[in-house]
Amino acid sequence: MTLENNLQESTQNSIEKSYKSFSLAFPKIITSFLWLLFTGNLVYMMYYFPSIPEWSLGGILRVNGFTILILTTVTFFSALVSTYAGNYLNGFRYHSRFMALCLGFTLSVMLFVMSDHIILFLLSWLGMGFFMSRLIGIDSNWGEAREASKFTQRYFLTGTFFLSAGVLLLAFESGKFTVSGLVSSLNELPLYIVSIAAICVITAAIVQSAIYPFHRWLLSAMTSPTPASALMHAGFVNGAGILLALFSTLMFASNTLNVLFIIGGLTAIIAQFTKLLQVNVKQKLACSTIAQMGFMIMQCGLGFFNAAVVHLILHGFYKAYLFLASGEAIEHSKPQKPPQIRIKPFQAVVVLFFGILGAILFALLTGKGTELDSGIFLTLIVAITVGQVTYNIVKQQSLSVLQKTILPPVLFICGIGIYALMYKWVTALMAEMPMVAVPRSLSVIQVVFGIVFLVGFFIMKLGIYRKVPWLYVRLLNVSQPYKKSILMYKSKSL
Amino acid sequence: MIQQHILKSIEEASKVIGKTWPLYSFVTSNPLSGYEKVSFKDAVNSAKDLLNAKIFPETSLYRQAWEQGEIEKNILIALLRENGLSKSPEFYLQQMQSQKWVQEKNINHDLDRIMAKWLAIFMDEGLAEWEMPGKKDGFYKAWRKLAIYDSEIGIKALCEIPKTSSEALAHVLTGYSKEECTKIFTYHLAALPGWTGFINYRIESNSLWQQEYPISLEDYLGVRLWIAQQLKDQILPEIEKDETDNMISKLQYIWLKAWEKSWQNQLIKTLKKESITTKPSRNGEPCPDAQMVFCIDTRSELIRRHVESKGNYETYGYAGFFGIAMDYENLNDDLVRKSCPPIVSSAYKVSEIRQASKNENMLAYKKKNEILKFGEYFLRRMKNMLPSAFGYVEGSGFYYGLSLLARTLTPGYFYRLKKKNISSYETFCEPEINSATTQDEISLQITLDEKVAIVKSAFDLTGWKQFSPLVLFIGHGSHSANNPFGSSLDCGACAASPGRHNARMLAKLANLPEVRKALADNNHFNIPTDTHFIGAEHNTTTDEIVIFDSEVPDSHKEQLLNLKSDLLSAQQTATQDRFGIQGNSIALAQRKANDWGETRPEWGLAKNAGFIVAPRALTKNDNLDSRCFLHSYDWELDIKGKALEGIMQGPMVVTQWINNHYYFSTVDNDKFGGGSKITHNITGKFGVVQGNGGDLKMGLPLQSLFQSDREMYHKPIRLSVLIQAPITRVTDILLRNENLKTLLDNEWIYLMVMDPLQENDIKLYEKNMQWVPTTEEGVREENYRTKVDVEIFDEILI
Repeated sequence: MTLENNLQESTQNSIEKSYKSFSLAFPKIITSFLWLLFTGNLVYMMYYFPSIPEWSLGGILRVNGFTILILTTVTFFSALVSTYAGNYLNGFRYHSRFMALCLGFTLSVMLFVMSDHIILFLLSWLGMGFFMSRLIGIDSNWGEAREASKFTQRYFLTGTFFLSAGVLLLAFESGKFTVSGLVSSLNELPLYIVSIAAICVITAAIVQSAIYPFHRWLLSAMTSPTPASALMHAGFVNGAGILLALFSTLMFASNTLNVLFIIGGLTAIIAQFTKLLQVNVKQKLACSTIAQMGFMIMQCGLGFFNAAVVHLILHGFYKAYLFLASGEAIEHSKPQKPPQIRIKPFQAVVVLFFGILGAILFALLTGKGTELDSGIFLTLIVAITVGQVTYNIVKQQSLSVLQKTILPPVLFICGIGIYALMYKWVTALMAEMPMVAVPRSLSVIQVVFGIVFLVGFFIMKLGIYRKVPWLYVRLLNVSQPYKKSILMYKSKSL
Repeated sequence: MIQQHILKSIEEASKVIGKTWPLYSFVTSNPLSGYEKVSFKDAVNSAKDLLNAKIFPETSLYRQAWEQGEIEKNILIALLRENGLSKSPEFYLQQMQSQKWVQEKNINHDLDRIMAKWLAIFMDEGLAEWEMPGKKDGFYKAWRKLAIYDSEIGIKALCEIPKTSSEALAHVLTGYSKEECTKIFTYHLAALPGWTGFINYRIESNSLWQQEYPISLEDYLGVRLWIAQQLKDQILPEIEKDETDNMISKLQYIWLKAWEKSWQNQLIKTLKKESITTKPSRNGEPCPDAQMVFCIDTRSELIRRHVESKGNYETYGYAGFFGIAMDYENLNDDLVRKSCPPIVSSAYKVSEIRQASKNENMLAYKKKNEILKFGEYFLRRMKNMLPSAFGYVEGSGFYYGLSLLARTLTPGYFYRLKKKNISSYETFCEPEINSATTQDEISLQITLDEKVAIVKSAFDLTGWKQFSPLVLFIGHGSHSANNPFGSSLDCGACAASPGRHNARMLAKLANLPEVRKALADNNHFNIPTDTHFIGAEHNTTTDEIVIFDSEVPDSHKEQLLNLKSDLLSAQQTATQDRFGIQGNSIALAQRKANDWGETRPEWGLAKNAGFIVAPRALTKNDNLDSRCFLHSYDWELDIKGKALEGIMQGPMVVTQWINNHYYFSTVDNDKFGGGSKITHNITGKFGVVQGNGGDLKMGLPLQSLFQSDREMYHKPIRLSVLIQAPITRVTDILLRNENLKTLLDNEWIYLMVMDPLQENDIKLYEKNMQWVPTTEEGVREENYRTKVDVEIFDEILI
């Protein structure tokens, strides 16, 4: 009897022990697997660059340069986040679950960019949202996290619904059930079908990218552990860029590029203002992401889907870094007045000079803006950015004249140079895809928006917004997280 | 009239909240400090009802302690028996486990949420570029002007809202009695204890932010009650009956007592053994090669043990602010920070001046610093502005990618690289002390007498006898990356700043010839001319000791070199000891110090349980597992008991704060602590909230207290102070200091005295100046008393 008990106990002990060692080993195994995937993809890409062989599996899967590019990117982020989480989530009771969800998410994204058959395509899109919302609610004992998880899941389901509607509509109208088949048979379909499908796809895209008015899910997703947020901002929200690049022909066929341009542009400006008043570091980063996603969609609207893809990758680096470092925002400081803006005529000339120089460099290296088309718009933004770089540097008293002369060109050459390299690289990898870099002729809307951007720039520069209290409160409320994900529950002993 | 009674009620109600310290100077204080005037048991019961908090360790922690043998079986069983509980401990564990915590809807959900929203934007310390409009007018007035735009509150016109918070309160509270008002205030202050605690902090510290943007509890209540009225939420709470089983609370208290008693027993056994084997030594011993003074911090115990084992070294324990009640002006940002215990008001202000002939370093440093600051400003501008934010991301994204890789994969390497390149200003500056009071904005110089007094009390309090050629004052600081709670790992006695500047200041003062002369002239201390004092800092993450030796005379260079190599090997063995590994322990510590994904860079003061005031000889041969604060004290040199009185008024109270903070943030980590770091969201540059927002977190995070979500690291028991001194001397001090006596009578801490006049017998303090022996009989007697305690406790519960 006692022997039996002992035996039972010892088996139980050994089960517990093996479970414990499993839960310790599991994250490490997955992390290694992800690094392996990343390295494999990277090596494959380097080896075949610039002509990645096209490969397809009977209308179910397909792999091309773009696929490999996204695979490399997403595996990089998940491998990095897993390594980070290895320490960060040490002792977290759901560490293994976190790793499993990470893996599930990564595989969904991989499947998404590889799938050709629309069922697989739609299922993997659903999978991405499913895993992401599970990560948001990973701590199932936490009421607010459960609410946030449910809330975001509703958005993702809405997105999937619209994507399915758009894709299935095209499929049944054209009789083709592969993504590649669909996008190549658009001109056989009536315009209204194409337009409805395009609106559906756009809706799915802007839900995913948290574009206004679907922005609230991203602001309510902070119940996920920090590394999950990094993954979300680097590899999930930018799904719109991938989706739109895959359906670029649909946007051209339906003539909905202006819709993208306007939605993206407006969101970029509004979210950038909203960011200014955020007092929580993660919400501030989320507003910044929304603005950047707006910009990315705007790039799509200008016909530069390849530029949008570059943007989504670079923004991924940028935002993943800021999330992983979001614990650094504690600082002892003193109240300060907003800086006074005044510029001397000579400084203005320097700013203008370097701005133009930067624009020329950009145009030469990327080919954007060399002709009178929508590329001008992007070149203008580069020019203003370089102008701002220069402006801040020449205004700085602690720098010597030499430093002031050298620093701006060094910075913008480093920045524009590396960007141009990335741009060329991505463009080469996307070469096989139809209509991903088609500059549009300059339109009134673009000019109007160019002016709106300049006005926004001056409002910000001059700090005019500070004098509009109702706007402050309006933007404050627009950017509040979902109600039920804050202070909704209280614990109580029974 | 009405206003007066409202203000009184607010004051009465405000004791329900503690103080939430900003994370850049995180002081571990007692969250129930408002209740220190009443007994621990009453206080925790009030907290349970008003804050809806857990007040005793969870059963799983008791179980772990029980299984690890932390709770002695015979003590526990005896205690249970005395209270008429005769079943097995296992049975009672089961019974305690039956208590479950469930989540229920917060009935004031909207009110709490809206308040948190407004408080967060008002209290922000510069995280937002666009600050809340009208902030300068104070919280209530700023809110009032904006409230009309807030569709969630539903106020249409400005004239609907009274102009001041007192008018608003008077309006909302018409018809309520004074007692009801107090009840209302208590309830509404306790609704968001983190935020209201931070208001409390701002009022008391009168920080620059508070001066510029004032907020008061009255403002908070005015806004809250006005919104509550608008939302038709209840103003006067219905008192909820406590439904928890009294039996469970009683059991939990018995288990806590048993746990504490077991620890005391262990400590007594260890020290008893020592007191027999080691006879206090008098003069005539060879002088040590070097003497080192460490902070009383529990982490010093480990490094002291390892340093002592490396050579003929003597170490002392002294409060890490080194007796200088100062504020420190940092050269990096020109901000003045408190650098002494928060219970002490700062009499001095210390700033940096350049050392003679080092003007160039200073200029270069200032230049570099300015450029660094510009870099930060530049990046912020680029990220915030339209449309440069987009261009900036595209131009810099790739470099962020590289940093991602570097910081994730090779943090230890970058730590060493950074350390090599850093030019800390200690190499060309020296601290200068002035009075904190200013005249025409110029700080006044302090007199020689004051300088002498500072130096003298350092040697008085620690019971100093002879001086080595090298005497190091070693403050401590911590290195960690991406850690909002970084300052919680710095020196508690320096108000959560690193202690190096206090150490350097004291060394400088003790090196002054005029100070030494005065000390010798008055027959206090005769410091040999070949003794040199040096400031240093113990890095508690890596156990490295950095010595600020730029002004050490050549005559001492060689000795210093020897010392340094011994300190290096002490670092090696100390880190090995701490991590329980053999090789590469320093590299591991360095990784932890710079890994941005590391949530447990070091353990801080976790596990603290004892405070020993005695000569080092008493503890020198024991491994106390970093569980004790150690203050050096020699009763024979302190004839009038003045030094002991100072130690009990200062360090003892500070250790009590620390211990209580650790206790409460362990027993209810969500309420009194910070919750898990992995979902923290920094707010306003000074605090954290969980997830999407909510109440400000007021205490240490889970990762500072627990090994994992389930296993404890810190043991939540109350501090046991042990003093080696004649019992009559301690009694006298307690009679003179009512506040200390109250603290003991109310059982916030325990006090034991080892009386050298009675063969080092150890007695435990009991209510109203009774001393209970701690021999075997003593334990039994003790148990009887505990029974009475528990009965009193029953009455309170009923």
